[in-house]
Parts: sequence; C-alpha cells; structure tokens
Amino acid sequence: MMKRLFISLTAIAIFLLFFVSCYYDNEEALYPSISSACDTTNVTFSGTITTIFSNNCYSCHSNTNASFGGGIRLQNIADVITNSQKILVSINRTGPFPMPPGGKLGSCSITQFGIWVRNGMPNN
Amino acid sequence: MRRISLAFFLGLISTVIFAQDDLMNILDKNSTNEINYTTATFKSTRVLNGHSIERMVKGQLDVRISHRFGTLNTGGYNFFGLDQSNIHLGLEYGILNWLMVGVGRSEYEKTFDGFAKFSILRQSSGAKNMPVSVSAVTSIALRTLKFPDQTRTNYFTSRLAYVAQILVARKISQGLSVQLTPSYLHRNLVATELDPNDIFALGAGARLKLTKRISFNGEYYYIANPKTYLSQQIYNPLSLGFDIETGGHVFQLFFTNSLGMTEKQFIGATTGQWKKGDIHFGFNISRVFTLKSHRKPSNS
Repeated sequence: MMKRLFISLTAIAIFLLFFVSCYYDNEEALYPSISSACDTTNVTFSGTITTIFSNNCYSCHSNTNASFGGGIRLQNIADVITNSQKILVSINRTGPFPMPPGGKLGSCSITQFGIWVRNGMPNN
Repeated sequence: MRRISLAFFLGLISTVIFAQDDLMNILDKNSTNEINYTTATFKSTRVLNGHSIERMVKGQLDVRISHRFGTLNTGGYNFFGLDQSNIHLGLEYGILNWLMVGVGRSEYEKTFDGFAKFSILRQSSGAKNMPVSVSAVTSIALRTLKFPDQTRTNYFTSRLAYVAQILVARKISQGLSVQLTPSYLHRNLVATELDPNDIFALGAGARLKLTKRISFNGEYYYIANPKTYLSQQIYNPLSLGFDIETGGHVFQLFFTNSLGMTEKQFIGATTGQWKKGDIHFGFNISRVFTLKSHRKPSNS
C-alpha cells in the first residue's frame, strides 16, 4: 500500500512538472500586428477609448443618438463595461453585427480597446 | 433391534442436516470475506471519444485505430463524408494493474498525445463495499503543425495543451453503466483575447448492453465556459453509437459532432452542430495483445 502511494505521488509529481510550463497566451497579445507608432502602454478611457468612440461610434451610439444604434449607448463608462464583450466581437468582426458598419477600425484602435479591457476596464 | 437402528438412522440424518447448515454458514462467512470487484463496466478504454473507467491490466497492450469521416451534410457527392477521413493511432499499455499509459498521433493539427490513467477506487461488493469506481486521467497534447507565421518568435510551449480528468463510474446493473467525467483543459496559446485558455467541462457517458456482444453507448460533454463570444464558435460534443465485440477486437461505430478524437480536441474544438447535420461517422478499433502474462492474480 505504501509502495503504491509512493509510485502514485511520484507519477503525479512528474505530470505536475509539465504543468509548470503553463502559459496564458493568445496570438493577438503575443504577436500584436501594429506599428510602433501605436501607444499601447498609456491607454486610458478618457483619452484613448473616448476618442476612438467619438470618431467612429457616437453617430449611432451616443446617449442622444442611441435610437439609431439599437439602443446601445457607448458614452458612459458603465454602458461600455456592460457591452464590452459585444464591442470586442463587433470590432474584431467575428460576431453577428460587425462594427463599424462602414469598415473595420484601424488595428491600433482595436488593440487599444483590447488592452483597456484586459487592464480591467479602468475609469481613467 | 430394528427400532433402534431406525432411531439411530434418523439421528444420523439430523446430524447430517445440521452439519450441512454449519457448512452453509461457513460458506456464507467465507463469501462475505471476499471482495467482488466489478468488471466490464465499459467494453473498451473509451466510452466513445473520451476515456472510460476501463484500463489495460498489467502487461496488456492495446493497439487502437480510430477514424472520423467528414460530415453527413456534405451530401452524396462526398459520399456523406466518407471521402474524407481523419485518423488517430494509439498504443496503450498497462504498466501496473492500476496504472495505464498511452501515446497517440492525430492527423488533426498533426498532434501527438500522451496520457496516464490511474485507478484510485474500484467498485466492489462483499467484504468491501464501494459504490463507484474512480480513476484520474492526465494527458498532454503536442501540436506539431507548422506555425502559420514562421518569421515571428514561436515558442515550443505554445504547442502544448494539458487535460486533467476525474472519472467516476458505476455499473448499476449487468446491462447499464454510467460515468461522470469532470474535465479541465488548459491551452498555452489560443487565437484571440476572446478565447479562454482554460476550459472546464463535465462529461457524462453511459453504456446500455443490448446483447452479449453489442451495447449502445452515449457520451456528452457539457462545456461550462460561456460559448457566446469566441473567435470560433464551439459546441458541446455529443456522440451516440454501438460497441461490438468480436473475439479479441472491440469495434465502436458511432456518430458524433466532433472531428477530434482526443480530449483537447473534442472539448476545445468541436465546431459541428448536430441540428445542422455536422455529424461525423466514426469508428474505433481496439485490439488487445497480452505481452506479459502473470500467473498469480494480484489485488494491487
């Protein structure tokens, strides 16, 4: 019985060694396809995200124009947080409603929004 | 004189009867001291796609050849999927009576895989009453498909994925066995920010014996992660089919919405949907060879 326990523990320990090389990577973050001109370190809601949204989204998704945009508002941070997963699939154009409808955002803007989400969507 | 001998005879009979009772008592006692381990909860080491509680005993080698064909909804031109085929080859061996290891190679993403299955508890009755059998499976998948972009810095660890599973099975009656399989899958590299590196799933499998050699099997994995916003939509894998035992071979013939044959693939990458007809016909062939025969039966 003791021998069996010993062999089990050894075998499990060997397998755990493999788990040591555990990584949480995704290709987007590991291999960003953006130019060095894109600011990926200093991404803020008030500076970066609001600028992207006002240039591309507020014609249909501001608080006043939301009736054009299916009632989805992207002006207040609480609304953006609520819709963050939808926004991610929409701007990556992998979901049912690719946004903006006229054409894809620049890769820098898409990456910056992703970084802001990964940072925990801070109100900065 | 006659009367005496009759009385003696009757007395003798009664002692024989009592003696027989004593014998039965002794037999009863002996049988309750024995542990009756449940065998053949499933016919093969796989329910259909995923692992079953069964394992190779010490010295037995299982040679497995598995195919999954294309989807039924590709139509008659592709002979309902049979024109395409995906292959998995496996060699699996029982090192000890409670430890089995295996290696395999899938055509899907040119993946090598290895696993170990530990038997922790065995269902038994008699002296030791255990309602369920419990095993643990750990496996590693190594994708060797070339990275699409050779110019970037590619890491070896990006090719790896790990799976840990606990198998809890019970043979309810001679004809019916069930199994629950909580599973955890970790992938070192996924495609986008939306895709989880960790996937949790709960598998359920059952075997219904129809005749001595044929049984009906079903297997379903419920993926607990939200599946709404992924770069590639995945579905819960469902497989339904038959085990057919012919002499030394076990054939498993079934329909499934999963193209992958190992845990990493059918938990993390089942893109087909039953209701849309993305159903693959598939089979596993298992042939067991006894490499080392051991004479004395051991309980270890």
